[in-house]
Amino acid sequence: MSELNLTLKVWRQAAHDAEGEFKTYRLNGVSTEMSFLEMLDVLNEQLIAENEEPVAFDHDCREGICGMCSLMINGQAHGPDNETTTCQLHMRRFRDGDTIVIEPWRARAFPVVRDLVVDRSALDRVIAAGGYVSVNCGSAQDANALPVPKQDADKAMDAAACIGCGACVAACKNASAMLFVGAKVSQMALLPQGKPERTARVLNMVARMDAEGFGACTNTAECEAACPAAISLSNIARLNREYFKAVLTSPR
Amino acid sequence: MSVVAESTLDAKVPSGPIEEKWEKHRFEMKLVAPNNKRKFDVIVVGTGLAGASAAASLAELGYNVTSLCIQDSPRRAHSIAAQGGINAAKNYPNDGDSVMRLFYDTVKGGDYRSREANVYRLAQVSGSIIDQCVAQGVPFAREYGGLLANRTFGGAQVSRTFYARGQTGQQLLLGAYGSLMRQVEHGKVKMFPRREMLDVVVVDGVARGVVARNLVTGEIESYAAHAVLLCTGGYGNVYYLSTNAKGCNVTAAWRAYKRGAYFANPCYTQIHPTCIPVSGDYQSKLTLMSESLRNDGRVWVSKAADETRRPRDIPEEDRDYYLERRYPAFGNMVPRDVASRAAKERCDAGYGVGTTGKAVYLDFKDAIARDGEDVIRQKYGNLFHMYQKITAEDPYHVPMRIYPAVHYTMGGLWVDYNLESTIPGLFVLGEANFSDHGANRLGASALMQGLADGYFVAPYTVGNHLASVKLPRVTTHHPAFQEAVVDARNRTEKILGVNGDRSVDSIHRQLGHIMWNYCGMSRSAEGLKDAMEQIRSLREEFWQRVKVLGTGEALNQNLEYAGRLADFLEFGELLATDALERNESCGGHFREEYQTAENEAKRDDENYCHVAAWQYNGEDAAPTRHIEPLTFETVKLTQRSYK
Amino acid sequence: MTSLIRALSSTIGKKLLMGITGLALCGFLVVHLSGNLLLYVGAEQYDAYAHALHSQTILLPIAETGLFLLLILHIALGVITARENWAARDVRYEKKKSKVVETTSKGAPNVASKWMFLTGIIVLMFLLVHLGHFKLGVISPGDPDATEFANAARILSQGFTQLVYLAGTLVLGFHLLHGFQSAFQSLGINHPKYTKGIKIFGFIFAVTIALGFASFPVLGLMGYFSGNTGSPPAAESVEAPPAETPPG
Repeated sequence: MSELNLTLKVWRQAAHDAEGEFKTYRLNGVSTEMSFLEMLDVLNEQLIAENEEPVAFDHDCREGICGMCSLMINGQAHGPDNETTTCQLHMRRFRDGDTIVIEPWRARAFPVVRDLVVDRSALDRVIAAGGYVSVNCGSAQDANALPVPKQDADKAMDAAACIGCGACVAACKNASAMLFVGAKVSQMALLPQGKPERTARVLNMVARMDAEGFGACTNTAECEAACPAAISLSNIARLNREYFKAVLTSPR
Repeated sequence: MSVVAESTLDAKVPSGPIEEKWEKHRFEMKLVAPNNKRKFDVIVVGTGLAGASAAASLAELGYNVTSLCIQDSPRRAHSIAAQGGINAAKNYPNDGDSVMRLFYDTVKGGDYRSREANVYRLAQVSGSIIDQCVAQGVPFAREYGGLLANRTFGGAQVSRTFYARGQTGQQLLLGAYGSLMRQVEHGKVKMFPRREMLDVVVVDGVARGVVARNLVTGEIESYAAHAVLLCTGGYGNVYYLSTNAKGCNVTAAWRAYKRGAYFANPCYTQIHPTCIPVSGDYQSKLTLMSESLRNDGRVWVSKAADETRRPRDIPEEDRDYYLERRYPAFGNMVPRDVASRAAKERCDAGYGVGTTGKAVYLDFKDAIARDGEDVIRQKYGNLFHMYQKITAEDPYHVPMRIYPAVHYTMGGLWVDYNLESTIPGLFVLGEANFSDHGANRLGASALMQGLADGYFVAPYTVGNHLASVKLPRVTTHHPAFQEAVVDARNRTEKILGVNGDRSVDSIHRQLGHIMWNYCGMSRSAEGLKDAMEQIRSLREEFWQRVKVLGTGEALNQNLEYAGRLADFLEFGELLATDALERNESCGGHFREEYQTAENEAKRDDENYCHVAAWQYNGEDAAPTRHIEPLTFETVKLTQRSYK
Repeated sequence: MTSLIRALSSTIGKKLLMGITGLALCGFLVVHLSGNLLLYVGAEQYDAYAHALHSQTILLPIAETGLFLLLILHIALGVITARENWAARDVRYEKKKSKVVETTSKGAPNVASKWMFLTGIIVLMFLLVHLGHFKLGVISPGDPDATEFANAARILSQGFTQLVYLAGTLVLGFHLLHGFQSAFQSLGINHPKYTKGIKIFGFIFAVTIALGFASFPVLGLMGYFSGNTGSPPAAESVEAPPAETPPG
């Protein structure tokens, strides 16, 4: 275990409608065993001691599954590692003397709430448009009544692993949410349970995605590289395919 | 603090044979006619498995639901982090499972401190939960034939656990969240994220609403309804370090307690045996490694106390597979409390591994040799990945180092068979209530309970309340709301007004140390008294020295944190009090004074076969300990044995 | 019908049309390059091809109109999406670093993907110059009686033009490097068995098109046309149309 002395350039913004700016902080004696968020905890303790308001940032489970943590770290969503959330990123990834630039997710659909906290409720609204199977509680048949080929179930699970953090949007040069939407559409398209609403689902979710102000996909694959849950770009292709099919066959 | 009085609580368990209780009760409960349901408003606080499933189900029935959560999205509730699986008595593997066996295992696993009727109902509806989740599109693991796969969890000798890789909680929650968002789209659920419930509003003795802080604007908001459901999770973060998410807190439950809901069995806390050990003082949380790993991993330490060799260099004959040695029948699959204590025993005796000596090995060498690395990767890939991220060690080649950590809390607000607290109209679901797990929860049962409560119990019992209690119109203009709003605002002002010199985090860490050292894996009367003393003085220190900057009229995470810590500082004392009053060892509550010759927990069924439910009597008064006697008509009370 | 238009004007719909029009234009490039390769065979064959092409008085205008519409649609969609994409991120990052290059092995086509709009604009400008040369005859018009081959030889022998054509065709190739395989992704074609093949084919396609077209200005640079710029070979002299067709 060793210790790092760091320079942090952090985006500070008091409220949604306030002007923001970068502030530079020195932080010494950071253990390489710390997680990135623990490093920010230490920064905040230092700020409180100096009577400066701590940096606001979203986080919760701190084990990479809730999707609440975010942060653009040196220009990369969730930092430099593959398949990693910010809370799983450890300081051993950095070198003594490094300068780290920390910014909030940037997208028109993700307005800044404060400092590094953004509002990602647009993603919830996209799900509300159809990211589910409309089944009322109590009416389900026996779970084993409908066999699902293992490879389909596995692929559906790969897509369903999305944690909804928004890194795909943050990393995309167009702030596109196609990977997020593609993951949910794919999960449902791959399972027999999703079939009855297949057409309406993809049309409605894409319409909502556009209405929320996300950009279009330019197939740069930045989303895939930034995704902490390893959601594959093939899900975007499937989304395109589903959409194509739906456009041609939808009754409306 | 002394006990003032004891009275007996009525759980309203229906009469009749245990198999027929729920059926009979469903028939006896009153119904709200379909066209009348839209006249009723229900508030659901929390959007975890219990909250999301309850809100969605009630909205599907036609009630108007208001849903609040503290996270930025309902999908982030901490149920999402549950890894291993969900139990159900489907008996798909044909290995002898049944409703009766799941019921029996759960009662036994809970060390005979749970309410039989509730547990039986839980086992009865367990199968429907799986049906419902599959219909929602939850991608459970499947066999090559396309049918659902199962695995084994601790405390069971059958394979009844359904799973979606190591992300079962995530998938179940996303299923429930999907149903919830569908109702949001239909306008039947009004969703309010980034809201923290600060009070329950009771009008004429009935819960009629809540007061919550809008975490973005700081505004104190009022919500009125005909019934309130608390699905706000457990209190494990009173220990500071736990596997809970950072935001998990006792505030909602504690404020309900202060408004008259009884708090049951707070001393029942679950220490999970397989977590990644603490690595330093800066540590902010602990990460669980799913119990399912014990299906293939073997737990061991060296036979030599002064071991210096690397784990791979220690030959078989020098290894002590202590769980297999002590519990040959269940081996590595003993329940959590047993496995945790066994690890602590080895480490305390000086056999611990790693730099701190507070860890044991969980080794996959044999499983990898038997099944190959690919099979193991398929089953546990994401867990191994997570372990590697945190420790920078490769568990495919070096055994994991694990140590017990606070994980789940069996205690919670007391509820009757209808999941209704002692405040009429206030229902408590999921981990927030105390009901089904007794003194120790079995693995893969939390998900089962949360969804059972939300999908299959509350929709009936809440309807019964709405149909049978006279509920006059109440709006947020009622004085009770005004009073609660003022209370909440004053509290915020009070915290901001201290302007001391200690950060919230530093005080929380100190509380955590006290709780872990004296109310953790083993407890003693002396230690508990000491802890209560220390908590009281730390609480005073909090109100004199806490330093929270900024204002209450904006997003202020430190202010939120301080409010939660203030409640933990009160709650911690109640936990210690309860532990002190329970003069026996059972499940997760281990009192050093009460153990068998083989260091196993020794229950006292004569004097403590009951639920302890605490009633709040005011700031400076001692709480009253009420009891609900536990009667076992179906399961025979015996000394729990996994040998 | 309105629902179809609505669906096609969504982000996905637009990308779908971009992909279709892009692939159709790729098809045209193949035809165009094949024709141009006759420059290597000889003046006679090249002029015969041009003559045959221009005598299609019905099919040619239809094909040209179709091509023009494809191109306009492709460009219009490109401009509209670029504007929307620009608006989707209203505040830029202080620092932005690709994670694809750093953390995956898929580095190569990604560079091209970042610059599609810019390379598209450059290709468009090149195209205008090219049409000005060969279709409209407004840029450096030559002898109206010259043969097609002579005209091409004259234009490709001008020093500055050679550089413009070289740059234009190489940027076109760069545009295709991402565009070709990306069109398949936009059309929803991504399969573990075929995607790798599509990517390899896309790479070969882009390189072939770019090198194929770039070879003509290179020929000019090397003086291949220097003997042929002046008077047309007398034998094949026909009433030459003002310029060669499809923009070439």
